[in-house]
Amino acid sequence: MDYYPFIMIIHVDMYVFWSYVLAIVSAIGVGLLVRLPLLPERPIRHSWTASAVFPTAIIAMGILAIFFKLGVNGFYYGLDLALAIGIITALSVKYFFDSIFPKPETEDSHE
Amino acid sequence: MNELLGIAIAAGISWLNFVLIDTWMGLPESPGVKGADFIGRSVQKRGGDLAGGFFQGNIVCSPDASAGTLLGAIGCYLIGIPEGGFIAALLVYIGNRLCADPGYAGTTGALSITVIIFLASFIGLTPQMFIVGMIIAITTIQGIYHPASSKLLGKLAQKMNRYTKLS
Repeated sequence: MDYYPFIMIIHVDMYVFWSYVLAIVSAIGVGLLVRLPLLPERPIRHSWTASAVFPTAIIAMGILAIFFKLGVNGFYYGLDLALAIGIITALSVKYFFDSIFPKPETEDSHE
Repeated sequence: MNELLGIAIAAGISWLNFVLIDTWMGLPESPGVKGADFIGRSVQKRGGDLAGGFFQGNIVCSPDASAGTLLGAIGCYLIGIPEGGFIAALLVYIGNRLCADPGYAGTTGALSITVIIFLASFIGLTPQMFIVGMIIAITTIQGIYHPASSKLLGKLAQKMNRYTKLS
């Protein structure tokens, strides 16, 4: 019985870890299903294309972290929440992203 | 760990983190917005390097890996490791998009410093040390003497094949 709290901590940490993994995997998976590209076109550093890895997975991780820190853990140790956030993030990036964060008009600052 | 020693180590790590990521992401190559162009050419007029000046201008005009590193450390201190870093990465990304920047450097910086802070916590470095260290690191680039720091950034850009083709 003395080890019980320690085991609980490990379980909770593992669930948190797998929740983040699930959020990333579901965001990328659903992103690919709705035909987002896996990665932006090369050279990536100059690309404005929203892809499954960037920014979809980053946004899913950030939103899941906010929910966890607000004390919202879903029904199954955060796993269901992670799955839902991954799916909603991927759909949002596909259908609403360009209207929320439009690509800026090109400036003539390079000449 | 001794606090001053910890801050010195954290400053070195933070400096390498943001300068290498920003250079790799092409900050010295071209100014993202007009303000960065003005700053780069002003630094060049004062005897500095144009690519280093673009780097400094881009840092001022949008949250790049420097802001990502600082906000990642603040997030880890206030909210926890790693949640604070993930939330910081999301907020830096939103800030980037508002500043006409694709956002790769800022988010990469925030996520990489989160991993670094997590690993460094095993040798006694705390997020507070990284906050102070990052402020010292950014002061060496932006706050002391622009021509000298821009030349250093320009040389680094040449070595990493990110030197500007503009003149």
